[in-house]
Amino acid sequence: MYEYEPRTASLRGPEAPHGFSERSYLVDIPDRHKPRHGSCGIAGCMNIDGSLISGSRIEKMITTMSERENGLGSGFVAYGLFPDFADEYCMQFLFENEESQALTEETLSEWVYMIKDEKVPTFPQSGMSPPFPLVWRYFVRPKTGTEAYVRTGLSEEDYMVRLVMSVNDSVPGSYCVSSGKDMAVFKGSGYAREIAKFYDISRYKGCMWLSHSRFPTNSPGWWAGSHPISILDWSVCHNGEITSYGVNRKLVEMAGYKCNLLTDSEVVTYLWDLMVRRHRLPVTAAAFAMAPWYYRDIERLPEDERRLANQLRITYKEAFLNGPFSILVGRSDPVTMIALADRKKLRPLVMGESDDGNSVYAASEECAIKSVQYDARIWATRAGNPAVVKVGEGIVRRGTESPFLGAI
Amino acid sequence: MRTDIKVPEKYLPIIDQEACIRCKRCIKSCSYGALEFKDDKVRVKDGCVSCLRCVIDCPTSAITVVERPSSYAPHAVFSPEIRRSIMAQANSGGVLLSSCGANAEYMDIFNDILLDAAQVTNPSIDPLREPVETKTYLGRRPGKVVVDDDGRIDLDASETPIVVMDMPIMIGHISLGSISYNAQAALFRAASELNILAGTGEGGLHNDFYCHSKNLCAEVASGRFGVTSHYLKEVSCVDIKIGQGAKPGHGGHLPGEKVQKLISETRMIPLGTDALSPYPHHDIYSIEDLQQLISVLKESTEYSVPVGVKIAAVHNVGAIASGIVRAGADFLTIDGLRGGTGSAPRVIRDHAGMPIEIAVSAVDQRLQEEGLRDKVTLCASGSIRTAADMIKCIALGADVVGVCTSAMIAMGCTVCQQCHRGACSWGIATQVPELAARLDTEVAAQRVINMFHAWNEELKEIMGAMGIDSVESLVGNRDRLRYIGPNPRIAEILDVKHSGEGWG
Ligand code: SF4
Ligand code: SF4
Repeated sequence: MYEYEPRTASLRGPEAPHGFSERSYLVDIPDRHKPRHGSCGIAGCMNIDGSLISGSRIEKMITTMSERENGLGSGFVAYGLFPDFADEYCMQFLFENEESQALTEETLSEWVYMIKDEKVPTFPQSGMSPPFPLVWRYFVRPKTGTEAYVRTGLSEEDYMVRLVMSVNDSVPGSYCVSSGKDMAVFKGSGYAREIAKFYDISRYKGCMWLSHSRFPTNSPGWWAGSHPISILDWSVCHNGEITSYGVNRKLVEMAGYKCNLLTDSEVVTYLWDLMVRRHRLPVTAAAFAMAPWYYRDIERLPEDERRLANQLRITYKEAFLNGPFSILVGRSDPVTMIALADRKKLRPLVMGESDDGNSVYAASEECAIKSVQYDARIWATRAGNPAVVKVGEGIVRRGTESPFLGAI
Repeated sequence: MRTDIKVPEKYLPIIDQEACIRCKRCIKSCSYGALEFKDDKVRVKDGCVSCLRCVIDCPTSAITVVERPSSYAPHAVFSPEIRRSIMAQANSGGVLLSSCGANAEYMDIFNDILLDAAQVTNPSIDPLREPVETKTYLGRRPGKVVVDDDGRIDLDASETPIVVMDMPIMIGHISLGSISYNAQAALFRAASELNILAGTGEGGLHNDFYCHSKNLCAEVASGRFGVTSHYLKEVSCVDIKIGQGAKPGHGGHLPGEKVQKLISETRMIPLGTDALSPYPHHDIYSIEDLQQLISVLKESTEYSVPVGVKIAAVHNVGAIASGIVRAGADFLTIDGLRGGTGSAPRVIRDHAGMPIEIAVSAVDQRLQEEGLRDKVTLCASGSIRTAADMIKCIALGADVVGVCTSAMIAMGCTVCQQCHRGACSWGIATQVPELAARLDTEVAAQRVINMFHAWNEELKEIMGAMGIDSVESLVGNRDRLRYIGPNPRIAEILDVKHSGEGWG
């Protein structure tokens, strides 16, 4: 998993043919001349048989959509990354300095057993603006045997959530960017190509990758606020703006999550954790709550589904993500990718599948998929309709089916 | 010994004698006897309240009512209003009554709040081209959908009694007695046609109105007038009235002369007796007692309808609200200081309670802190005058707004503040048959429908401009509000940022 894979010298992908569609010269346009429109880009790839994919592939996908970013943040998440430590929580941190690291380690020692820790190699790039954070990862096991743990009355996962929230909230200069098993998040402030180089993403291999490049508007661009935003094994890459943020925040805060990343996107991660892990809703039902059908369309559903649809709209009205978005959501056990766009589909989202059906892709733009799999079969998910792909199972939903397939 | 000193008149009807055609319609119009016909001319007597009935009835527009220009020597502290009320009090020796809600210059916080709109980063929505939803629910919500051990959703365990409305609007509780049969018929009909709720008020439900029961919220007040289990099961929700914003801590008094056949039958009290609603419910002296009444009402309706509680906005409203929700209320109504009334002691009306803007925000925040906000429906009322007020009130935390005065204005009321006298010249707040007959139920109902329809369209326009396509995403969405008033401390309490402050 750590071995270094040499990158191709050419800027063009190995799969792309030459010819009239040759467009690699585009990358030579200086940044200052590039059009300043668009918004965030998201991309994801996975192998259904669980075989590993090099980070260079997702790097290629996300950097192909360079018009969708403005250098204020990017990130990657890989699943199936630590087979040797698959049962440990991998907490990956950004520290401002050694002091914040020491303070964090003090807190960690109260909450968890440390199995292993290591520095995450980083390579600051010339175009990026310092200061750069210290990046460190810890493989930990919660101290579930202690009396202190019993007194919290929390499940193991909720205990980990509380630990992450309390570090992010109270240890100055320390941010836990991922805390799940067999996965890690690599993110920061910069262009996608810079962040990819900063972490040397190509040195890692995972069975699923998600990635994000950012064009922030309503919130500041900063390291911890970049995407993916992750809690436990959930990670979310979000392209959009949540016009209902004040309402969504209310719900997640009532459930004990703390919103401290200065970006509206973090509520999306917490909503998934709340509805699917804690309330045990099927993914389709949670997706429906976030991007519900219009009432006039609900009327047309068969009785059972109509009841469920209405009940979800009533019960989870604060989980409704109003406004434009497309999101990629990752989860372990089994490694799963969920791709979902808002109910008007005001942000782009396309899916792709290799000829042999083993590789599945999702991205804001088709070009990102074609850049790594030229012959991919492309389809678009419908508005508010989730595509779900699982390692070992394949494409569970294509995002074009009736809303509750398998959910009632 | 006569102690009366005449209180100077406030309004002056001016008759344009040249335009007047001597039809004498205005004399009939005036239910306060302020005009007479003498020496072939319309003459002005005392008692004009500026209800404007004559102005609108006059076929030649010959009448103008003005405030009398120079009744009192100016004084910065003793305003004419204060001097007039002292005079009136010295005459009568009694508590001064009034109606229509606070008439004091408290800061109107709604006017200090600005709304947001979408630009560039999120697209605004044209409600004429794309759906913008305003469907609203009232009742308790389960907090989560129940999933059984096999991972299947258990809908039977998740569903609760809930009322579905097409707009986040409820016509507030106005009893038969405080308004005429025709007026109540018009309001109920409007509610049915709009598929929203209307409050019955505390006077029970007249037999003729059971046809609207699916759009009615029954009020159980301290007098318990007209409350039967049949009635409670017929309507779509039940509201326990603890207080009213216009007169917190006060009860009600419908004088015996208004208790004629119609009222006596509906309220189930003898003809001509005073209908007195005690200040507290005499079976509710604590929160535990309230909990019992909620249970009793749920039992007697066989858990088929939501049971709510309505309180006046008072200083500790957040804590009280949370107690009420814990006591089992499925919905909660907060009525603000400026809310209307058919009759209230002026001193309470103008001086007790708190504005609805602050109250609704305080309750929303408190219920959120206690993790209760996703379980209960919050209704807010008390001078929601326009669609703009409604939108701001929803963004401050209300699921549903209650509206009374504006609906009455739609029917013709001019807010002359004389409801307590029972001589409403518009046929609304009166039981005098000749006056009540002035209100055409159909016309009045249509006007109320028109107004709320317009409000709902304005709500959609505003939401569309904000990039929000369903009203639940506006509820408590303070991020989309900014404060622009004189007192930033209010913004803090409302948990609203100041204008000019950005997102992050
Ligand atoms: S209603 Fe008008 S026209 Fe008729 S008598 Fe009165 S002032 Fe004259
Ligand atoms: S209801 Fe009638 S009496 Fe009351 S304020 Fe309106 S017009 Fe005046």
